[in-house]
Amino acid sequence: MSASTGVVDPTRRGQAVAGWILASPFVVLFLVFTAGPVLASLGMSFTDMRSTDLRSPFAVQFVGLDNYVDLVQDPLFRKVTLNTLLYLVLGVPLTMGVALAVAVGLNGLSRSRGFFRVGFYLPVVTSIVAVSVVWKYILRDEGGLLNAALGWVGINGPAWLDSTSTALPSLVVMAAWRNFGTLMVIFLAGLQTVPREQVEAAEVDGASAWSRFRFITLPALRPVLLFGAVITGIGYLQFFEEAFVMTKGGPLDSTRSVTFFTFDQFGYGNYGYAAAASYLLFLAIVLLTFFQFRLLRTKD
Amino acid sequence: MKRTTATIAGLAVAGLLLTSCGRSDDAGAGGEAQSTAIADGKAKGTIEVWAMGTEGEKLGDFVDAFEDANPDADVKVTAVPWESAHDKISTAIAAGKGPDVSLIGTTWMGEFAEAGGLMPTPEGLVDEADYFPGAWQSTEVGGTSYGVPWYVETRVLFYRKDLAKKAGWAEAPTSWDDLKKFAEDLKSKGGAKYGLNLQPGQTGSWQSYLPFAWSDGATLTNDDGTEYTIDSPEMAEALDYYTSYFDDGLSMTRTLDPGELEGGFADGSIGSFISGPWHTGLVEDAGLDDSQYAVAPLPGKDDGMGTSFVGGGDLAVFKDTDNADGAWKFVQWLSQPDVQQDFYDEVGDLPSVQSAWDTGELSTDPQLKVFGEQLKEAQSPPAVPTWEQVAASIDGLVEQASRGDLSGEDAVKQMQSDAQSIGTGL
Repeated sequence: MSASTGVVDPTRRGQAVAGWILASPFVVLFLVFTAGPVLASLGMSFTDMRSTDLRSPFAVQFVGLDNYVDLVQDPLFRKVTLNTLLYLVLGVPLTMGVALAVAVGLNGLSRSRGFFRVGFYLPVVTSIVAVSVVWKYILRDEGGLLNAALGWVGINGPAWLDSTSTALPSLVVMAAWRNFGTLMVIFLAGLQTVPREQVEAAEVDGASAWSRFRFITLPALRPVLLFGAVITGIGYLQFFEEAFVMTKGGPLDSTRSVTFFTFDQFGYGNYGYAAAASYLLFLAIVLLTFFQFRLLRTKD
Repeated sequence: MKRTTATIAGLAVAGLLLTSCGRSDDAGAGGEAQSTAIADGKAKGTIEVWAMGTEGEKLGDFVDAFEDANPDADVKVTAVPWESAHDKISTAIAAGKGPDVSLIGTTWMGEFAEAGGLMPTPEGLVDEADYFPGAWQSTEVGGTSYGVPWYVETRVLFYRKDLAKKAGWAEAPTSWDDLKKFAEDLKSKGGAKYGLNLQPGQTGSWQSYLPFAWSDGATLTNDDGTEYTIDSPEMAEALDYYTSYFDDGLSMTRTLDPGELEGGFADGSIGSFISGPWHTGLVEDAGLDDSQYAVAPLPGKDDGMGTSFVGGGDLAVFKDTDNADGAWKFVQWLSQPDVQQDFYDEVGDLPSVQSAWDTGELSTDPQLKVFGEQLKEAQSPPAVPTWEQVAASIDGLVEQASRGDLSGEDAVKQMQSDAQSIGTGL
């Protein structure tokens, strides 16, 4: 049965054929509905296809990397890229920090942990549109909950969503509030795996609570933190709904994200340009994930 | 692993080859001739119709009269939600399997005609002069008409009559200077917090800014619709006038939340605003009656009526129809003045045919008469496939100007250069 002699075992061959036949429904579905559209959109990003080319989609011009070059030079695309990066850089550490703090706090609780766990997780399962609308009212200029609360202590709060400097940070805070629940549950599970003996040994040796956290808990959580950073990073790079509902990308495009830009371009019918923008975002996600793995992988 | 990479690379190359076969210039609008006239006689066969919103719901019963007059014809109406209508029509055009007739939003005409999905209107089907000129404009793509206007809407000035009286205004203003004075008086003497509410930017603000520019004589494109002419002193002057309402505190500088405008108008904090016919209902729902508010045509720059925005819906026949004759006869029937008037009674859509306004409620109701008058002086944006993108750029620059970051002159220069780089798409 060794392949080098060129003899194929007939039973094995029969099994292979049967295997392919049994796998074919999935393979066909995968090629038609997953690989096909993905490759078509990749191909589309190298053409000047517009919505008016619908009747003759193959009669478009191949433009090479023009779409990508135009994107890099497009001032609006640069702005939305900056917005998205800012959202990522502010949002991921904030969300992870809050989630870790809450998880550690809950881990120390012996009672009503379940209640708080459900409570903090609720925003995750609530519709993003409903959450955004409620937050829009909280952040309103006149009669908003936040500014009313600030008013009690004598601070005159700004129109959070109407200023180019506070709109994006407001969305970041909302996103952190909404998303830390998932990470909290993951971190809580991770905290159970921290070796109790090590913690106790350190305690006997006289290590402070901070040192125990810094040198025992955190290193033990490294894989969980990596996972958290990756999924949060991927999610935040694609942020869209919050801005779509709350600010429509404004004021002055200060909350427009790369995904929002792509959505707009598809809406304008610039299919080639929009496809190119989404592949640049895809590339950014791949790079980000790669660097996170490099940075946080387990060191022996 | 190596083999998988090779397969993926192979598929990608195949995909590229498939998508790179070169553009031919034959498809689409621009210089296409009108279709030949349809034959006389009654309509026959099945006519499939798509319509959105209320029109879609009510049209099904409304067509009974057409079927009575054309016994061999069978009209099948499908109601399509507005939200999915654009995608559905695009798909139908791409697949070549659409209905025979569809309602098309006026701003979509350019795109669908350029995609080659719509059939040019036959010679002599209807008389262009019967329609409001601005409405007819929306059917013409690259000089060819691709349908007929079905219903229209236009924007007029809504103001609080009682507050205006308190401020010493028995009549609505009729010039830009008067309008400014009017807004100031509503604020200082009428007790309103904001005299005239205008949209300070964001999606759709071009619809409130462009009427001022049109009233000043500005045009967006040259006569044959091939070049943008946005960078003009009139456009800049109109924008400066528009943004002065924000600088002077006469209009709110942020975008309103849904319901805020009607609420503010009802409690007297907003003295006036510019909007379309649907707002009469909304304002009355908010608790006002016609002793408290009134509508008036948009003021022109100097004395007289200004130019407003006209929107609405057009009826178009798909190129792939197998019953062009029946489809156009149905469109022709819906364009008759008495049918248009019946449709107004049934649905409340304002007729696009001028003579439908000569009798009945449309000719007597004082509010409706204002809309009827304004429709004679109203324009629609250029029917080019790229309009939505150009409009988005205008929205953004109106926002920058109304925040005081740009002068009117610089803003319209930027609008022009954006529009030029976007192109007309024809």
